[in-house]
Amino acid sequence: MTMSADQQSLRDEIADLERRLEDAKSRLSPSTVISTNPTPANDAALHALLLLADSALPLGSFAFSSGLESYLAHHKPSPPSASQLPSFHTFLRLSLSTLASTALPYVLAGYRHPEDVETLDNDFDASTPCTVARRASIAQGRALLTVWDRSFKAHNSTTTEAPSGHDGEGNAVNKAVMDSLASFSKAVRTSDNINAHLAPLWGLITRVLAVPLHDSAYLFLFSHARTVISAAVRASVMGPYQAQAVLASTELQDRIRGLVEEGWDRTVEDAGQSVPVMDLWVGRHEKLYSRIFNS
Amino acid sequence: MPFTSPFAASTAKAGHGSIELSVLPPDTPVLRNVSYQYPLKLVAPDPLPPPDKSTDADAPRLVHTVFLLTYGGGIVAGDSINLSIGLQGRASLILLTQGSTKIFKTPDPTLVSRQHMTVSLVQGSALVYLPDPVQPFAHTAFSQSQIYTLEKEEGSLCACDWVTSGRSARGENWDIYEYKSRNEVWTVGEAGKKRLLLRDNLILDKHGRTGLQLSRRMDGYSVFGTLIIRGPVFASLSQFFLDEFEALPRIGGRNWGDAAQPELTPREQRRAQRQQREKADGLIWSAANVRGFVLVKFASREVEGSRNWLRDMIREEGSILMAFGERAVLCLK
Repeated sequence: MTMSADQQSLRDEIADLERRLEDAKSRLSPSTVISTNPTPANDAALHALLLLADSALPLGSFAFSSGLESYLAHHKPSPPSASQLPSFHTFLRLSLSTLASTALPYVLAGYRHPEDVETLDNDFDASTPCTVARRASIAQGRALLTVWDRSFKAHNSTTTEAPSGHDGEGNAVNKAVMDSLASFSKAVRTSDNINAHLAPLWGLITRVLAVPLHDSAYLFLFSHARTVISAAVRASVMGPYQAQAVLASTELQDRIRGLVEEGWDRTVEDAGQSVPVMDLWVGRHEKLYSRIFNS
Repeated sequence: MPFTSPFAASTAKAGHGSIELSVLPPDTPVLRNVSYQYPLKLVAPDPLPPPDKSTDADAPRLVHTVFLLTYGGGIVAGDSINLSIGLQGRASLILLTQGSTKIFKTPDPTLVSRQHMTVSLVQGSALVYLPDPVQPFAHTAFSQSQIYTLEKEEGSLCACDWVTSGRSARGENWDIYEYKSRNEVWTVGEAGKKRLLLRDNLILDKHGRTGLQLSRRMDGYSVFGTLIIRGPVFASLSQFFLDEFEALPRIGGRNWGDAAQPELTPREQRRAQRQQREKADGLIWSAANVRGFVLVKFASREVEGSRNWLRDMIREEGSILMAFGERAVLCLK
C-alpha cells in the first residue's frame, strides 16, 4: 500500500518535471530563434566585424611584431639550429596578457564613453612608456581613422540608424557618438596634443559601426594575436600552416575569451603592465643590429 | 560630568604623515612641518648646503633630507601608510629609505597592505627619491602608489621605483600573491584643471591567463625598476641616460675585428667598463624620451647588479651629486 503510494508520488514528480522541462524549452526556443534571425542590424554588425577582421584592412599592422623580434634576439636558442617555437608560444601568451592589461581597458572605455575619447587618448599616451610601442600604436590608430574617414564614413551615415534606432532617443545617442568621432578626427589634424592611439579609437569606431562590445574586444585581442603570429611566420619561427593551427586552436580561443572576461570591468585607471620585461624587450627593439619590423 | 580634554583633539591617523618644505624669505628653505603616526616614522637630519654653490645663483642654499622608515623595517599585512609631501618655492628635498622596504607575509591574499604617497611640486622645487627597492616576501599582497602633482608642468623630479623577487637567499622567487605599484605625474593648470602626464603602473597578480608562474613571467630577472626624470634640475642627467642608451652596442651585432680600434677617450673607457659589468650582471635597460620625461626601465638578475648600475650612472654624470650632495645616493651604496 505504502509502496504504491510512493511510486505514485514519484510518477507525479516525473510528470511534473517533464512538464516543467517542456515549458522551459518552449520559453527558450522563441528567443533563440530571434537571436539567430538574420535582421538587417545583425548583418550590418557582422559585416563591420568582417571588415575589421580582414587582414587586408590597411592599418599597416604587418609592419609591427609588438616586441617579438626583440624577444627572439634576447632569447637566442642554443644550439642556434634549435627551434624557437617554444619560446614563441611563451611570448604570445605574455604579449596577449600585456595587451589585455594595458590596452583593453581603453578599448572598452572608448566604446562605452565615446565623449571621453580625447582624455582617453591623452591618458593612454601617458601610460605608454616607450617610443617604439607608442609609434606602433599611433601609426595604427591614425591608419584606422583614415580608413574610417575615407572608406567607412560615407556608407555608415545611413546604416547607423538601424541598430539602436527604433526610437528618437537611440538616434540622438548615435548622433552624439558620431559627433565625438567627427570632432576627434578634426582635432587630430589641428592639435599637437592628440595622438590617435589605436586602443581608444578601436572602441569608438566599433561603437559607431554597431559591433557588439564583446565582439569588438575579442577582435581587438584576436587581431593582435594574428599580427604577432604572422610576424612569427615572416621571422621564420614557423610555417604558415602551423601559424593557422595556432590561430585556430581552442587554447587561443579560451585565452582570448578569458582575457575579455577578466578585463570586462577593469577601469582605465587600473590599466597597467603585467609583464614588466615586455617594456624592455619592446624598448630595446631600437638597439637590434638588424630589423625587419618596426616594433 | 564628562571629562573634557584641555588639548585640541588629535587629527592624526595611524600611518599618516606629512612633510612640508617651504622657503623662509629671502632664500632659506625650512621644513615647516614633519609629522607622522605609527607605523610610519620620518627622520629629518640637519639640512646640508649643496656642494656646488657657484654655478647657479638661484640654487637653494640648503638641501633637506628625510628618511622614510617603518617600525620593524617593513610593512606588516594590513598596514596602511599615507604620506603627503609638499614643496614650496625653491626648495630641494632628498627622500631616502634605510634598507629595503620589506613586505611581510599576509594570512589572507585579500588583506592587502598599502602605501600611498602624494607629492606636490612647483616651479623651482626639486625632489630626488632614490630609495632602496621594495622587497615583498613570499605570500604577500602589497599595493603602493606615488602620485606627483606639478603646478603648471613645472618642478623637477627624479624618482626611482624598484622591486625585487623576495628573499632570494631563502629561494623566494616572485612567490607573492600580488604586487602593484603605481607612479603617476599630473599637472594642474591655471583653472585647477588636471591632466595626466605620465602613468607607470605595474601589476603583478594571478590575472593575465598566461598559465605561467609569476617567476616565468619575469623571465629570470629578480629586479625590475623604473626611473622617472623630469625638469630643468635633471636636464643633464636625462640627456646622459639617452646618450648612453644610444651608445649601447647593437644587439646581435658582431665585431669582425677588421676595423681598427680607435683610441678610447676616458669617458668611452668608463662606458666600455660599465657595459662589461652590465653584461656580467645580466642587466638590461632602456631609456625613452616621452612627453617631457626621460623614462628609464631596468632589470637585472640580482639586486646588486641594478644597484651598482644606477649608482655608476648617476656618479658618472655627476649633476645630482653636485646639486644635492652625497646623501642623494645613500640608498645605492
